[in-house]
Amino acid sequence: MKRNLRLGLLWSWFWMILGWLYFLLPLLATFLFSLRAKKDTLSFLAYERVFKDPNFWKTFAFSLEIGLITILAGLVLIVPTAYWIRLRLPRLRMVTEFVSMLPFVVPAIVLVFGLIRVFSGAPFYLTNTYLGTNALLVAAYIVLALPYLYRAIDTGLAAIDVRALTEAAQSLGAGWPVILLRIILPNLRVAMISAAFLTLATVMGEFTIASFLVGIKAFGPYMSLVGQNKTYESSSLAIISFALTWAFMGFIQLFSRGRAEAAPPGAH
Amino acid sequence: MAFLVLSHVSKAFGQTQAVKDFNLEVEKGEFISFLGPSGCGKTTTLRMIAGFEQPTEGQILLEGEDITFRPPHQRNVGMVFQSYALFPNMTVAQNIAFGLEVRKMDRAKIKERVHEMLSLIQLEDYGGRYPYQLSGGQQQRVALARALAIRPRLLLLDEPLSALDAKIRLELRQEIRRIQQALGITTIYVTHDQEEALSLSDRIVVMNQGQIEQTGTPFEIYNYPQSEFVASFVGQLNLLPVEVLDLSKNICRVAGQEIRFTPTTNSILKTGKVRLAIRPEEIRLGMVEGENLLRCEIASVIFLGSIIRLRVKLGEGILISVDQFNERHFQPPRPGEVVTLHFPIHACWLL
Repeated sequence: MKRNLRLGLLWSWFWMILGWLYFLLPLLATFLFSLRAKKDTLSFLAYERVFKDPNFWKTFAFSLEIGLITILAGLVLIVPTAYWIRLRLPRLRMVTEFVSMLPFVVPAIVLVFGLIRVFSGAPFYLTNTYLGTNALLVAAYIVLALPYLYRAIDTGLAAIDVRALTEAAQSLGAGWPVILLRIILPNLRVAMISAAFLTLATVMGEFTIASFLVGIKAFGPYMSLVGQNKTYESSSLAIISFALTWAFMGFIQLFSRGRAEAAPPGAH
Repeated sequence: MAFLVLSHVSKAFGQTQAVKDFNLEVEKGEFISFLGPSGCGKTTTLRMIAGFEQPTEGQILLEGEDITFRPPHQRNVGMVFQSYALFPNMTVAQNIAFGLEVRKMDRAKIKERVHEMLSLIQLEDYGGRYPYQLSGGQQQRVALARALAIRPRLLLLDEPLSALDAKIRLELRQEIRRIQQALGITTIYVTHDQEEALSLSDRIVVMNQGQIEQTGTPFEIYNYPQSEFVASFVGQLNLLPVEVLDLSKNICRVAGQEIRFTPTTNSILKTGKVRLAIRPEEIRLGMVEGENLLRCEIASVIFLGSIIRLRVKLGEGILISVDQFNERHFQPPRPGEVVTLHFPIHACWLL
């Protein structure tokens, strides 16, 4: 019995270490390679070059801006929709869940070609202006981030008794704006933060749609270009973008944990 | 005109008729319970009064004003939910203050009212806590205070005690009645628990399949049920198949033994299937001159603490429940023993 237990433990450690190696080894190799920009010594030269490149900051700022607008517009669109579906149209949940999964099925290349075809001619000449193209980019990113946005918000809504809270607020005299702003949104804080960071991570690394709509202006295409032309810098960029994604994930953990720790043990 | 009037109110969800021709007049300060099994339409009726559902037919008047189609946030009707529905992002004090802030009441006045409400529910020191830091009973008291803080015209409670354990339920029940009487607020209470309805209410509305079966004081509902449903839903009831021997003398026969019953209207006999109704607590062991007597055999004895419930066999396939108060010197009969039971004539009636 005891032997079995020890053997089981050994196996779990074995698989866990194997898993870690599978993920970490390539990363470690990339990291080590990125340090070899200077011959025969390890240095952060590649990182210095990346950070000194004005295009890095320009494209980074552009994608960050687009990401933030995507988050804002996405939340404005999704939160009231998901709320209303939970409150009044629960039968539609199956449909919206299916629709929210479509971006996983439809390739980004199909989406961007479709968008360009529809919005480059009459009656919508969106691709003719910077503003129009950027708006199109945000719209495409909302579609792309839909699975994360909708899932996160819907899970957040599932955790609170939406109907009872809404009705309680109504019976106390609150109209829809007050209910949304003072009751629903504060209780969706964690869900919205998760949705926001997941969206940001998606937007920052996205290549296909950005390269067709805005080209080298965005961070994704910039990274790809560097990857094609500069050996060590591309590795350092890969590490930077990993660090960014992890930082976003870390933020989600941090914000959601803050809430759980506030509750004293046994309070529920 | 009554304070609250529900006139010919009906509600259909698609093909399902949830409430049918509901008529009720509630006086100011009254405590009314809607009692019935799940799916009987009691909650739907309450939700129509609150404004969360709209009647398919009929009219709802509050203080003479037609509120049938008025949105819930314009009715000034307080509501307490089974799931408490406290706002998790707000403290107890903020929860209570919410309705007052929505009404744009003066800050100092809000503070004063919150304090007043907290002392009403005896949770003065809990204002700064969050709902998850409170027990179920405390949360429901806060929900009650929140609903009362806005000084509603009407207080609606939708099975407020169902999620709580037995002891807290009893305590909170008394507290709800105390607060209701102290404030004199007109209250409608939805429950499927007959004991809650009987102990709290001025009047009870017993509902079944979307319709009112009977409206009356707890005493009337329990002692003079007007239908078989009410009789068997409120309290325990024995229903024995009888053969009416002489209606003018009120005599019938049960399993070959003659029984005299309370005078009844002839209309009952037209329904065909006639049964004798008698409450288990009206039947005693032993013989008493001038009362109805029944010879029968003990089938089982169940000890329930303060009550001993006997199941008694009367002829083929007829079982009667008999409740005896427990006393220390009482020797309960054994299964198989043949005993005599007695009960007064006025205790049984035909249904």
